[in-house]
Amino acid sequence: MALNKLSLLAIVLALAATACGAAREAPAPQSAAGPRGLYTVGADVFGLASGPVRLATPPVAPLAGWLTPAAVPSPDGRYLAYNAWKELRHDDPALSWSDQGIGRGDPLATPSVRLYDTSDESDRVLADGAFSLAWRGDGALAYFKGAERDYRAAVVYEGDVFVRASLDADPVKWTPARGRYIVVAWAGGTLVAYREREGEALDVLAFDGPGRMRVLAADSALVALSPDGRQAFVEQGPAEGRPTVRVVDVATGRQAAKLDLTRIEPAVGAVGYAGDWHGDQVVASSASGLAIFRIGPGTITFDQNLRIPSRGLSEPRFADASGRHVTAWASTPSGGVLFECDRTAGGCTRFTPLPHARGVHGFPVWRRTFYNPSRPLQEG
Amino acid sequence: MRAVALATLVAALACVGSAQAANGWWTFDRQTNIDSTLSWRWTYPPSPAQYTRSWRAGSGTSQNECRRAEGWLPAGWYSQWGHWNQYDGSAIRGRVWWLQDKYCWDGLTKRTELFIHSEETATNGQYCTSAYDDPFCWERAADYYSLGCIKLARPSPVAAFPNDLGNAHSTYHNYGGSSAHGASTDPYELYVFG
Repeated sequence: MALNKLSLLAIVLALAATACGAAREAPAPQSAAGPRGLYTVGADVFGLASGPVRLATPPVAPLAGWLTPAAVPSPDGRYLAYNAWKELRHDDPALSWSDQGIGRGDPLATPSVRLYDTSDESDRVLADGAFSLAWRGDGALAYFKGAERDYRAAVVYEGDVFVRASLDADPVKWTPARGRYIVVAWAGGTLVAYREREGEALDVLAFDGPGRMRVLAADSALVALSPDGRQAFVEQGPAEGRPTVRVVDVATGRQAAKLDLTRIEPAVGAVGYAGDWHGDQVVASSASGLAIFRIGPGTITFDQNLRIPSRGLSEPRFADASGRHVTAWASTPSGGVLFECDRTAGGCTRFTPLPHARGVHGFPVWRRTFYNPSRPLQEG
Repeated sequence: MRAVALATLVAALACVGSAQAANGWWTFDRQTNIDSTLSWRWTYPPSPAQYTRSWRAGSGTSQNECRRAEGWLPAGWYSQWGHWNQYDGSAIRGRVWWLQDKYCWDGLTKRTELFIHSEETATNGQYCTSAYDDPFCWERAADYYSLGCIKLARPSPVAAFPNDLGNAHSTYHNYGGSSAHGASTDPYELYVFG
């Protein structure tokens, strides 16, 4: 009987610490090592093999947010391709465009894809009027390029997806028609991107070559690609019906597994895009923190929800081979915060590297992780 | 408080016939993703008296305004760049108002392709099949969720929601909204409370 009570107590404590309880959150102790992985604080990049570097401009993609990484290391680790945003005139978010004298068609900003070379510390524009990119394992690079260089007021920023077989190769157009695309990742030889429609509606697209585009998952967003690049874990939120997650075969578009999120722990709610898939585990941001799923043959099983009090975590990544630790970031009014969560202990450590860093125009500085979501891939 | 409300009501009724001189604008008060308040406010300059009609409205699936395709509409003032009665987009159709793009509070993430709309066909009808959630049929309260836009309810063959879209549309045109249709820059704006 005593043993049963102890067992029960242990179970309750385990649940409180993991699946059902709020994760403890603590600032990093003074002696703690920095966050794992690659991350930026404004234009400063940490975690590269060559040591910290300062880019020409902070890596940001305002027209993509974190639907796609702000910066992506090349598979061999030599380069860092990143998104840049040059404002041609300041746009105050508190004021309307009319109140700022901004008229229809006025140029507001120029996005670009830049390339930092760790071998000679050069930092140059790779494509002007472009944003969102994906490195393939063999070094091929894909990105979206606008039909016009500048993003303009009240003009939908349309363009095409281009692929370069190598950095020196000529860009080849892969889209059959101009549109609003956001490049995300390579799944083997298939390029995965979004098509954005009115209201920020997203379709996950697959490109098998120039002009060969198909819809992989309509009204959905990509959480992660399987390690072998053959499957995609996609999500649908409550704006498209019942919140669900699905595993889809990239080559055929066939649904391999589906999980109705209304039938699992309510704290999960819905899950967000830009997560990670390692082994048989997938991590994604949830309404209350981080949700972890296990993928089996034809099945998706809910494994754990780590409740983390914050404005919402973004771009969670498995930080080690066991999948025990997960990194993520969040925005706060005083600036970005990096997290490392221990799923077993049920706690998260907060990091605010360069705590006195300031953003532009008085906005809080971004602290954000970056990564290469393409698969298969041996990250450099 | 009751006296103020009564005075407002009386003033609103008394001024129905002089709508041409009205000056109007939208406000959106964010409370929850599926239960917030969209209002049309108007005055008759030079009188400062302000009149209001309000409807339940939704926005986003998350309250993080910086999450593209998930967060609710960012706070601040918006210009309106067009109004259509029979908009025929791929994701949004029918009676719509197009809003400017907007940086969210982080000053770096831009929200785009923003509208005030409902779930209806381009001809203002309903296309309701047996699917759980038809994009052009207002079936249930979950339809207030959006990817960022402001959404208003309307009746459908499968659910008896109020005709808030129709009422907002007529109020807009009767009390100070632009008579123009299509893409046009007009002074009527939206303010989203933080």
